[in-house]
Amino acid sequence: MKGNHRALVSVLGTIGLLVGLAGIRPSAAADVLAIGAPLAATGADAREGALSKQGYDLWADTVNAKGGIPVGGKHYQVRILYYDDQSKPQISAELTDKLISQDHVDFLLGPYGSPTTFADAPIAERYRIPMVEANGAARKIFAQGYRYTFGVLSPADEYAVSMLKAALTFHPRPQTVAFLAADDLFSLEVASAARDWAQHHGLEVVYFQKYPVGTTDLSAPLTSIKALQPDLLIGSGHLQESLLIMKEAQTLNLNTHFFGFTVGPTTPDFAKALGPAADGVFASSQWTPDVKYQGPVFGSAQDYAKAFEQKYGFVPDYHAAESTAAGVALQLAIEKAGSVDPQKVRDALATLDVMTFYGPIHFTPQGINTAKPMVTVQIQHGHVVTVWPPDVASARAIYPEPVWSARR
Amino acid sequence: MGIGTQIVLQDAVNGLLLGGVYAAVAVGFSLVWGVLNVVNLAHGALVMLGAYATYWFAASGHLDPLATLPVVGYALFLFGYGLQRFVINRVIGTSFLVTFLLTFGLQLLITNLALAWWTADVRSVTTAYSGWALTVGAVVVPAVRLVGAGAAVLMAAALAAIMRWTQFGMAVQATALDREAARLMGIPVARIYARTFALAAATAGMAGGLISLSFPIFPAMGTGYTLVAFVVCVLGGLGSVAGAVVGGFLLGLAQTFASAWVGPNYNNIVAFSALILMLVVRPAGLFGRAGHFRG
Repeated sequence: MKGNHRALVSVLGTIGLLVGLAGIRPSAAADVLAIGAPLAATGADAREGALSKQGYDLWADTVNAKGGIPVGGKHYQVRILYYDDQSKPQISAELTDKLISQDHVDFLLGPYGSPTTFADAPIAERYRIPMVEANGAARKIFAQGYRYTFGVLSPADEYAVSMLKAALTFHPRPQTVAFLAADDLFSLEVASAARDWAQHHGLEVVYFQKYPVGTTDLSAPLTSIKALQPDLLIGSGHLQESLLIMKEAQTLNLNTHFFGFTVGPTTPDFAKALGPAADGVFASSQWTPDVKYQGPVFGSAQDYAKAFEQKYGFVPDYHAAESTAAGVALQLAIEKAGSVDPQKVRDALATLDVMTFYGPIHFTPQGINTAKPMVTVQIQHGHVVTVWPPDVASARAIYPEPVWSARR
Repeated sequence: MGIGTQIVLQDAVNGLLLGGVYAAVAVGFSLVWGVLNVVNLAHGALVMLGAYATYWFAASGHLDPLATLPVVGYALFLFGYGLQRFVINRVIGTSFLVTFLLTFGLQLLITNLALAWWTADVRSVTTAYSGWALTVGAVVVPAVRLVGAGAAVLMAAALAAIMRWTQFGMAVQATALDREAARLMGIPVARIYARTFALAAATAGMAGGLISLSFPIFPAMGTGYTLVAFVVCVLGGLGSVAGAVVGGFLLGLAQTFASAWVGPNYNNIVAFSALILMLVVRPAGLFGRAGHFRG
């Protein structure tokens, strides 16, 4: 009897201890929101991944410095847990699973790039954890009926089309266009959408080819393009390929009225790497520091750019801004939900309609933000200036671009 | 001259110039494979180091990339010597797989250190003569690429001369033919290995310097060049300078014409089809003989 009693006491004691420990845990962690982000630190997207991380970090640090996210009288600090997905969709999906099932993150911020976002979205869906993503613009991501993936950026089909829209306002009106696209989900979708748009708007598509991602040489397609003498050349790929096209176009003396790239010219490396050869190059951008938007957390786009430059020492491009905007959207949804319950925050995201430094954020039922327009920019005297649409533009476009012999 | 002919000629020029770069990358790889029997998967990483060294000289010292080429080569020579003497030499003569794993690891290590130290920024060496070109009819021959290809061929010729006419070269050839016999003849095999590897690293570094003149550079750029070196060696044949040069030009031409006629997306398909075909039809390559190295 006495032995039984003692056993009972020790069992109860153990249970009590466990309950106690269990009780301590949530209360200690209660004021910190764990947010997971699988993000490229190595591989093909390492550069853009690093820019995205800076955007995420700036949001987290700003929120934490302001005391955290207010939810029902409590203030939650945010802590972002990063894993390197090596720019590989399969690894990104595995890490997303690990973040949710092992690290028990409350929310997710997206990876860099459409292929990885496409791979991660079904994982978020399966665990019903909202993922606010900033760097996956392919329409395909938002055509799967997912309810937990929200993209703050303009969809892929707008990327190159916005440059064509701008080009058609220039004089003399361009007649022909050539496309070179990297062979990946995002770049191809961008180029195909632009090709369709061009054909419906009286632009003749004289060349359309895809090349393998990370190719070391594009002199052959550029030679073919040179013979066709198109008015516009649109490259839909990645930073190193945009640089490669410009370097090889220069050495082959391939001149067009308009070199336009979906990715590249807005990152600081581009003008730095090419020097005067970069002058006149067009690009589309999700965001530029000179747009006229204003909102909570960061103030105006210019305020944001200032805060970013203070922290990192250079002016942010859209990769950083959209990543920060994803954090802001998540934060505003949490505040609106008044809860950190993933389901309630998801519902708040679905109905979110706010203005931020990045532009308006309002998700379609498919989860993409079409409220914000793309802008077309041009490098003028080494600086990226916004030239289209006219109402947010800070400079007039120089068209046609100078020929190579005039760029030195 | 019709526009079609002009394009074909321009493509041929592009292919040959690209091939020159490929040859420069491949000679060192071929040398190490032929003499040490090591497939050096870190070869591309050495190319990357050479490109960055050239970049730093140009960016912070305003030194001409072509003038610094010998310095870059010497720096990589020393690095390669150390790498071979203290790391790779420890697994020489063990199984092929071990050397494979070791060099793969080295490639990852070097690439990721570069990523950590120099960030993932894409950089480019731009010189005053970057845009210069010779124009022959309607065919443009970009100056930097012509110089690059020319320097590559010179480098290969110098290597061939070293292999053929110096005592060191003969010792290398003897070691490649029969390691044990060479040791018995008093050839210091470990030192020969280290010097051979160092020489290969020097050529890789200079190839990187030449590449930086025409192409953007970034830490992960090496992987593609290791693949290129591999294909070139299989095409041209292992263990011969001539094989690497001819293989390089062949691959450059094949990729360029595949890009132009079928589509840029086919250049790797064509490259690796050629590799498989060569392995099936003539496994030793055009100029190769196993276990041998010729100048």
